[in-house]
Amino acid sequence: MKQSSRRLALKGALSCALFASILSFSLPAAADEAVLRVSAIPDEAPTELQRKFAPLGKYLEKETGMKVSFVPVSDYAAVVESLATKKLDLVWLGGFTFVQAKIRTNGTANPIIQREEDAKFTSKFVTADPAIKSYADLKGKTFAFGSPSSTSGHLMPRHFLLQANINPDKDFKNVAFSGAHDATVAFVAAGKADAGVLNASVWDKLVEAKKVDTDKVRVFSTTPPYYDYNWTVRGDLDPALVKKLSDAFLKLDAKNPEHAEILQLQRASKFIPSKAANYDGIEQAAKAAGLLK
Amino acid sequence: MSCNLEQISLTHSNGFTALAGVSLSLHAGERIAVIGPSGAGKTTLLRLLGAAVRPSTGGIELLGKNPWSLPVTELRRLRSRIGVVHQAPPLPQRQRVVTAVLAGRLGQWPLWKSIASLLYPLDLAGAQAALERLELGDRLFDRCDRISGGQLQRVGIARVLYQQPDLVLADEPVSALDPTLAQQAIRVLLADAEARGATLVASLHAVDLALAEFPRVLGLKDGRIVFDLPAQAVTDQLLHDLYAAESAELPTLSKEPRFSAHSVEAEAVLRGARCR
Amino acid sequence: MNRAQPAAVNPLRDPAALTRSTAFLLALVVLWPLLVVAEFKPGALFDPQNLKTTGSFLAGFLPPETGAEFLSHLVRATLETLAIATAGIALALLIGIPLALLSTRVLAVAEIGPGPGLRRSQFIHYGLRALLTVLRGVPELVWALLFVRVFGLGPAAGVLALALTYGGMLAKVYAEILESGESRPARAILEAGGSRLQALLYGLLPGSAQELTSYTVYRWECAVRASVVMGFVGAGGLGQLMDQAMRMFNGGEASTILLTFLALVLAADALSGFLRQWVGRAGTDGRVAGVSGGGYVMALCASLSVLASFSYLNLGFGELFSSESLRLMVGFLVSFFPPELAVGWLSRVGYGVIETLAISAVGTLLAVLGGLIFALPASGRYGLLAGQASRFVLNALRSVPELVWATLTVLSVGLGPFAGVLALALHTTGVLGRLFAESLQNAPAAPRDALLDAGARPGAAFLYGTLPEVTPQLLAYSLYRWEMNIRMAAILGFVGAGGLGQLLYFELSLFRYAEASTVIAAMLLLSIAVDATSAALRRRLA
Repeated sequence: MKQSSRRLALKGALSCALFASILSFSLPAAADEAVLRVSAIPDEAPTELQRKFAPLGKYLEKETGMKVSFVPVSDYAAVVESLATKKLDLVWLGGFTFVQAKIRTNGTANPIIQREEDAKFTSKFVTADPAIKSYADLKGKTFAFGSPSSTSGHLMPRHFLLQANINPDKDFKNVAFSGAHDATVAFVAAGKADAGVLNASVWDKLVEAKKVDTDKVRVFSTTPPYYDYNWTVRGDLDPALVKKLSDAFLKLDAKNPEHAEILQLQRASKFIPSKAANYDGIEQAAKAAGLLK
Repeated sequence: MSCNLEQISLTHSNGFTALAGVSLSLHAGERIAVIGPSGAGKTTLLRLLGAAVRPSTGGIELLGKNPWSLPVTELRRLRSRIGVVHQAPPLPQRQRVVTAVLAGRLGQWPLWKSIASLLYPLDLAGAQAALERLELGDRLFDRCDRISGGQLQRVGIARVLYQQPDLVLADEPVSALDPTLAQQAIRVLLADAEARGATLVASLHAVDLALAEFPRVLGLKDGRIVFDLPAQAVTDQLLHDLYAAESAELPTLSKEPRFSAHSVEAEAVLRGARCR
Repeated sequence: MNRAQPAAVNPLRDPAALTRSTAFLLALVVLWPLLVVAEFKPGALFDPQNLKTTGSFLAGFLPPETGAEFLSHLVRATLETLAIATAGIALALLIGIPLALLSTRVLAVAEIGPGPGLRRSQFIHYGLRALLTVLRGVPELVWALLFVRVFGLGPAAGVLALALTYGGMLAKVYAEILESGESRPARAILEAGGSRLQALLYGLLPGSAQELTSYTVYRWECAVRASVVMGFVGAGGLGQLMDQAMRMFNGGEASTILLTFLALVLAADALSGFLRQWVGRAGTDGRVAGVSGGGYVMALCASLSVLASFSYLNLGFGELFSSESLRLMVGFLVSFFPPELAVGWLSRVGYGVIETLAISAVGTLLAVLGGLIFALPASGRYGLLAGQASRFVLNALRSVPELVWATLTVLSVGLGPFAGVLALALHTTGVLGRLFAESLQNAPAAPRDALLDAGARPGAAFLYGTLPEVTPQLLAYSLYRWEMNIRMAAILGFVGAGGLGQLLYFELSLFRYAEASTVIAAMLLLSIAVDATSAALRRRLA
């Protein structure tokens, strides 16, 4: 019966370990009160998102007097779901993810702020294939969207393609979801996809930073403008805190050198108030494209 | 086409000397029985003759060639002319009898034919004929693990009959057979060798069978040749000296453990054999 | 296989020929559509465009990234991967042990006699077995994908996903081990009025403790491999880094991560091998593992590493299981019901099922061929050097998870199911090659040697002398791997390699949970059906 005594010892040790660890991880949970949990849809590489957020996070800490922690994510939908399950307080959403969040939270998700640029956002269709000059040339090709949940990387381009009588599900040889805008460019540059689409803002940034070879990859079409990204808070966040947050964003001024860095990283000239109705057009487009019921 | 061993010695890597200074000459078409107590070196001698082991010292010539100075393909060709009947037939359990028999000619077949024959047995008639000589014609399509040990041993013999080698080496080929079948099987091997002019060397546990059926008998003990005589010239004394260490009685067909009850008859067989 | 026909009827026709050719034709008839569905086009590998893409990406592998910042990320991710595996197994034990006890029939008092409550006991028994099937049948990556939604981001989702799938597996295998052993001691204790636990401790454990421990260690090794890929759905660890590196075509980072994979998997392999040998040795010494000081030290080390894993991951379970998040979790689960059963959707899922089936079958078939090709030299047939080299290749193939292979193969042959086929084939070749080589090494040498001595070519000697001996075992291994590959094929779609995974990823991204629920149900049914088929086939082979 010695074996069983050993099993018992092992099990005893295991349960001790578990008990201790339950203790150890319930402690930090209690100290969570004064933390503002922020995240963003991963429309670019997570490291890039963190780099972009760092100065803004410090600024928000100063303005709200709370500790701000940025939670990196690799799945669009997980951000929406985490907002709905109150695991995040403030999130940067795309137009479509906002609509999804609105539905998931029964309309309580509250868009407070957006960049001036977001009011007339566009997407760029890119390719490395000299033969592709218009939407019609895309038939029978491999095409890369960003994430399925992306507004500028999937929904709106799909919407405009459908308007041009191109059905991505039928007319393309294969549809890839690269997951992020910069990844879409990488797909096209590497030849993994014949063409792709991404948001104009990321494209401009990649071009400025010379991270894309414009001799090889070129824009062959740009979509009409639409409303995109915003900063959304969960519906039951303390209104005083919401006020502090939106004021902080609105106060950002390009003439102030400290603010200028934040605005530049966010690729915003300035922030303006946002409202749910801005995104009704996107909701309709999503329904028309069959991505929303 | 003859085989010659000249002062052959074979020492295993563990230092055990299996054969020491063996010289032997076999003429084409000759039929020889090798007898001797367990551990005498009978199996080693046969393996040497089959080019399966290389002697430590001494000269060897098989079917007119020194196997160990041949290039690989030549050696393979030489080996395909040598057929071995094993005491425990090394046949895969799940293989069918027909495949096991046809495998005898793998050395003569090109690779494509070996593969094709796995898909559909290419020489059913040949395999059937070989098996029928051993009264196993009805076992053609049985699996090797579904027939008895005695039948399996005869399948091993049938494989060599089918191979039609110039040199047949049989290592205790009938150890799992009852006396009647054993005698029959040995006679089939002898007749086949005689008809084709092939050389046959068989190591036998049953002294009576060796003396009765083979013209030439080789006595082996402790890795050395004790006598190499025509069967008639082998005396009782020689035999008793050969087996001295083992027991008072000589091993015979009927004294295989399974048939030990008939030792009196066995003596008679032995005597009868000696009188021929 | 076949009984001999009386020789007199027609001795010159092989009675098995009809069965064989029928089976061959049937295999062709089945294989052909599978190849079509899997878009099997080996030519795509040599397409100049694809070659260039892959070539330039692989060229980026050198030199591997060694920047300090990246390396610190890498170390953290590696620790996280190990911690996820260890914590996951610890929780899986918590789930698996009680479930195993409850579903082990030998330990059921009601089965004696049969006594009162038999009906209820059997009901519980079958209910539990069904629960275990569900836990095991849904791939861990799908659980992770769901948990990322419920529990938020980070390693908690990975840990829980492992805990559930592996809990299900451990429970099933534990119960099987306990039931396969000598059951009379336990029965005697129950008959003497002992409790379930007493019967286990005094009746069953003494005979099976060694096998149980050995299996647990083996599962930990598998968990390390599994947690490596959890990151692909955002559940932390090395997979997350790999996912990013591959998406951004950062070859330098990818090669460093791959090397880390290789080292980690080989180390886990070696540690697990050592531990299992140690347990085995202690068992055969007549001494029992753990009675010596060494056993306590091992147990202490194990619990310390579990403790360290939990504190490193800082999972915040306290918060996860608050009443608020439980309510939300239930809400999330409810949104999956009822599954979408519209005809149009069902037909799409049906095609996904066929595609998944095709990917797994063709991938496994290729792997069987590849495994054989590498197993021959790996079993030491062509000399020491060839043996070492091919064993290294097999290890490398094996230590890269299928999902990572898929990210590479979508480059080499483009998106779609064929990429999935290749990914499965590459990884499975590594696994099967090793198993095959072991079988070949253990196969009796005499039949082959006899043929060689009779002048047969080595190839022919192998076909006639060795292959018949090892075929049943090779087939059993292949079927077993096919079973596992079908689960894997179901999730390869996450990186664009076809099958049900692609559907699931898309639907989950769009929050269409009713549709996603149909896909998950399809995965589950597929996995159950394949389990049953493969078990039946293996029984016939045995």
